[in-house]
Amino acid sequence: MDLFYIAALNIFRNYRRSAITILSVAVGCAALACFGAFINFTFEGLRETTIRTQLGHLQIYADGYAENHVADPWSVMIHDVDRLEEVVENIAGVSTVTHRVSFSGIGSTGQSSVNMSVIGVDPVREVDFADFEIVVKGRNLLPGDTETGVLGVELAQGLGAEIGDWVTVLTTSRDNIINAVDFQVIGIVRTGSTEYDSVFAKVPSDLVQRAMDTTAVERVVVMLNDTADLPLIRPQIEAAIAALPEAYEIRQWDDLADFYDAVVSLYNGLFRIFAGIIAIVVMFSVANTMTMAVFERTGESAALRAIGATRGITMRMFLFEGIIIGLIGSSLGVLLSWLIATGIDVAGGISMPPPPSMSQGYQAYLKLTPNVLVIGFAVAGISTLISSIYPAWVASRANIVEALQKQ
Amino acid sequence: MGQISLQAVCRTYTTGTTKQKVLDKVDLQISDGNFSVVCGPSGSGKSTLLNIIGTLDAPDDGSVMIEGVDVSTLTENKLAQFRNKNIGFIFQNFHLLPVLTAAENVAWPLYFKGVKRRERMRIAKEKLGLVGLANHVNKLPKHLSGGERQRVAIARALVCEPSIILADEPTANLDRKTARKILDVMKKLNEHHQVTFLCATHDNLVVEYAKQLITLADGKLTTEATTKAEAKGAS
Repeated sequence: MDLFYIAALNIFRNYRRSAITILSVAVGCAALACFGAFINFTFEGLRETTIRTQLGHLQIYADGYAENHVADPWSVMIHDVDRLEEVVENIAGVSTVTHRVSFSGIGSTGQSSVNMSVIGVDPVREVDFADFEIVVKGRNLLPGDTETGVLGVELAQGLGAEIGDWVTVLTTSRDNIINAVDFQVIGIVRTGSTEYDSVFAKVPSDLVQRAMDTTAVERVVVMLNDTADLPLIRPQIEAAIAALPEAYEIRQWDDLADFYDAVVSLYNGLFRIFAGIIAIVVMFSVANTMTMAVFERTGESAALRAIGATRGITMRMFLFEGIIIGLIGSSLGVLLSWLIATGIDVAGGISMPPPPSMSQGYQAYLKLTPNVLVIGFAVAGISTLISSIYPAWVASRANIVEALQKQ
Repeated sequence: MGQISLQAVCRTYTTGTTKQKVLDKVDLQISDGNFSVVCGPSGSGKSTLLNIIGTLDAPDDGSVMIEGVDVSTLTENKLAQFRNKNIGFIFQNFHLLPVLTAAENVAWPLYFKGVKRRERMRIAKEKLGLVGLANHVNKLPKHLSGGERQRVAIARALVCEPSIILADEPTANLDRKTARKILDVMKKLNEHHQVTFLCATHDNLVVEYAKQLITLADGKLTTEATTKAEAKGAS
């Protein structure tokens, strides 16, 4: 405690220099915390977009789907859809249960023909998912729609389709018979992915089932009220469907989201590099200050050693200065990051350009979590401590006689 | 054998290719309660002698016994503890910590002994009273005169109640009147508390207070008892 006391007093001897050092630690901590918070926001946004536009939190397939859906897709269809959906939607915390059935085909408006991926959905249950599709023209599917559909922006351009136009899609049924269905374009939408927009068509599932000559579906998609509840609800769903006659397999959204995993991996790598840079900047700044402090106080520390301070005590005295600088700087950094995050909130976010393969920009916010604050605090604080070790070691090893002559 | 015993101590400094032998097989005995003064021209080795006796420096050759302990056998940490317990230092430039009050400066050596803060401060105030600074305990060094700072340094040297106090040019930065006051304080401590003083100085005023005069020249040392010396003072 006494060494902390004297270390604290020594820090404020040269308060301007100490203030600049503390500020550099604070800025380093805040920069790291804010970058981490931005990544958090990005992860969360990407996660929720991925879940609510495409994957849901869970997808239920007929048992064996993973192995056989390419070679023999008809053998792994879900037939008792209504019962399965009823069982799952009765579980607390489940927001929406819907089914998907899809096929690839060639669409035409009479002007041109384009490959398209047609997904059949239940318009009644699909409302929650549709929230994440941005309607550019017309409207999205609504309950009661039967012979209608929406197209991705790029697909609509490729087809030369406008609202009210009819699109004919050619595909093969389960018996390998060429079949065709027609639907009227009621909306043109953006899914957020330019690539997906160029093949995306969404129609009522009845229409798809008619084209494929089946009543079965490919998968049942389950969306929860809150992603955080997933670890609790998944076992309940597994238990509930295990009691049904058909055997099923479940896959969670993060098993299916390869793009999300790639982004997380990339951003985590960037975060580690940024943390390294911050640590180096903080270390140089603090090492400079501590070296100057040691140099200026060579005589004093030698006198203390003459009157009984061991090398260990001398070293600790300077290390404590580094620790105090680190604690104050990092604490200020946490406060600064909170102020920055709040300021960005109040200002309505930061306008960001569309990410790669996305068609829309977005407003970015900083999602500060205890995790990123602790990382920012720890990186800045530990860097400060590390950078104090060498100057403190030098002070503790100085030749007493020579050092006493310096003042 | 006295409280301080040096036998055949040698110390040579090397500057580039030049070697200067500042202590050449020096023998010295100083017994309890002495007031010894080391004189000699600049560069004669006065400070080196004090540094070796104070265990801040080690001789190239010879042995140094302080309080019957061969200090060459002590590790760095043991030496620090030994100094803390047995030797007080008064530096020419005082070397007080500017961020601490007079009492806190005086109390610091007790921290190294593990004495609790309240007890340290009580003893420190007592020692400051002994050097006539009872009313200055809470002042920072920058608010004290040169003489007062040196008295704080004396109180700090005394606080662990060492048997030996080494003073390197204790009056160098003081005016004559203040220097005499400081020496009176040291004399009082020597006579009433049996503290052994060893001062290195150019100052004739300090020499006036010596019981034992040690002269250094060309690496050689001569000692003489002054008129103030008591029988036990010099050997």
